[in-house]
Amino acid sequence: MQRLAQPVLSFLLYGLSGVIGLVAFTYPFFLDAAQLAAAAGARQSAPLLTMLLLTVCLLILLIEMQGQAVSAKVVAALGVLVAVTAALRFLEAAVPGPGGFSPIFAPIILAGFVFGARFGFLMGALTLLVSALITGGVGPWLPYQMFAAGWVGLTAGWLPPLRRPLLLLSFFGFAWGLLFGLLMNLYFWPFTVPVVGSAAAGDSAVWQPGLTLTAGAARYLAFYASTSLLWDLIRAVGNVVLLLALGMPAVRALVRFRDRFQFQLVTG
Amino acid sequence: MDGGRLVIDEAPGGGDSRAWLAWALAAAAATMLARNPLYSLIILLAARLTTAAHGLPGQGMRLPLWRLGGLILTFSALFSALFLHVGQTTLLRLPASWPLIGGPITLEAAVAGASNGLVLLTLLAVFVALNAIVPVHDLVRLLPRALRDLGIVILIAITYVPATMQHWQRIREAQAIRGHQLRGLRDWRPIVIPLLVGGLERAMGLAEAMVARGYGATDSSRQPMGVRAGFLVGLAALLAGWFLAIWVGWQGWLLLAFAALLLWTLLWRLGLRYPRTQYHSRQWRAGDSLLLLASLLPLLAVLVPLPGRASLAYVPFPQLALPAFSPVISLLLAGLALPAFILSPSQHNGYNT
Repeated sequence: MQRLAQPVLSFLLYGLSGVIGLVAFTYPFFLDAAQLAAAAGARQSAPLLTMLLLTVCLLILLIEMQGQAVSAKVVAALGVLVAVTAALRFLEAAVPGPGGFSPIFAPIILAGFVFGARFGFLMGALTLLVSALITGGVGPWLPYQMFAAGWVGLTAGWLPPLRRPLLLLSFFGFAWGLLFGLLMNLYFWPFTVPVVGSAAAGDSAVWQPGLTLTAGAARYLAFYASTSLLWDLIRAVGNVVLLLALGMPAVRALVRFRDRFQFQLVTG
Repeated sequence: MDGGRLVIDEAPGGGDSRAWLAWALAAAAATMLARNPLYSLIILLAARLTTAAHGLPGQGMRLPLWRLGGLILTFSALFSALFLHVGQTTLLRLPASWPLIGGPITLEAAVAGASNGLVLLTLLAVFVALNAIVPVHDLVRLLPRALRDLGIVILIAITYVPATMQHWQRIREAQAIRGHQLRGLRDWRPIVIPLLVGGLERAMGLAEAMVARGYGATDSSRQPMGVRAGFLVGLAALLAGWFLAIWVGWQGWLLLAFAALLLWTLLWRLGLRYPRTQYHSRQWRAGDSLLLLASLLPLLAVLVPLPGRASLAYVPFPQLALPAFSPVISLLLAGLALPAFILSPSQHNGYNT
């Protein structure tokens, strides 16, 4: 019974965390004006509450993951790989690259692809945490960054293990280069300009409570295209270039170590 | 007295990291709940004063805040003016046929955007202060004990970042001696791959050392079923409470309080399984309590119905007007600057060994 309950509980915890993550990022699409007015002060407290919701959810998710994924080798490998990637972000903070380019996504994608989804999530989330600690980037944006970077590593672990994965990884890196920006802009989109009457704002790229999902998405895409698309395209292309240039030798090295990390002496 | 300053504490950065975290969270909450630019300015100045008084040299964000602030304010004002065609003071009019930006460009929209940008800048300043004041190892210590294994990962990573930078430098020098030059991206391979392989080799050695010291000898990493089920219930209650708090009202806050209590109890119980030892233990001091009290002042301003509470909001539409001002609320928000004046910006000496 307990053997059956463990994976069910894990599945439920992962599923609920995923739902909370999605809700926390996409809630601007379903805030309703009339109900916001009824709950006094809800508009002001909504971002604060959402950030707390996401932070607690991330904490529980990390605790659940550490309970399943840890041996000394995994802890050490994760620590060192996070250090290497965080060092890249440290260099990036000292000498910023063009646009939204960041060298941290390629290692997260490669680690997730080789070591699996759980390792990838931890690698993404912890890389952002450690690099925020060493570059002074701790703030309310951090849980969102950790979640989004965790998803990069998690979904990389779901890619099929092809013999020649370079094209697939490059496409994946390009897609996440854009998607990361799309997600990170979404949660603070309502705060880029103050709310005015929805009729007065007309059709534009400005958030208004009470829009339908399609109208909200259309406005958000207009906002994203006019403010961030170019910036994120540079990140996406940067990911592709890094993965094409360094991806295969890095995958080979990681696969060799994966076999060594997974080696266990079974007794009895 | 110390040069006109009343010395109350002799702690790192002038206070305990938990008290500083409370200060930063209270300042952030006040910033997000008070949308009046005058109040944002007060919090911003309090954060900068506190950073100047207690910031540790060489720590914190490496970006120049004022330059970044100029960028944020300009972008916010410009974006709002271009996309929000509301307000009575028209500065210019773009052809209506232009998609998205066509229409009147108003002063009110620009001011509203700048005011929003000021809120973002203030939030940034508050967390710049936290990052500059609290040392990295104290920030790590704020992680809950229940994150034992991932706490070790984080400590390994933080410890290995300088070693990784040195390793990077050594590989570059070794390749340069062999005549290697960096012309294109592929030329980075002989540097990046040895860095990766060297790091993983070190991880193998580290893992062996950890096992030799008894890491993983007891099966304590898997959380008990009851705790995990409690986490599930707590998360579900948290999500339901969030929905209700935003869309319904006080019922949601009740559910949120229940979820917070349940999760906090579970985390605390789980943390008891992983005792944390430390060479230096820091005592909670009078100055820390004072810092905590200073953190309550801005919360009073934004949460308690005081006279002048209406001035917390500011909407420049339909016609631009000066934001309202309440001396009581301003004074309470200015309480955030108290740590800059009453705590000593002294060295790490609040520790017992």
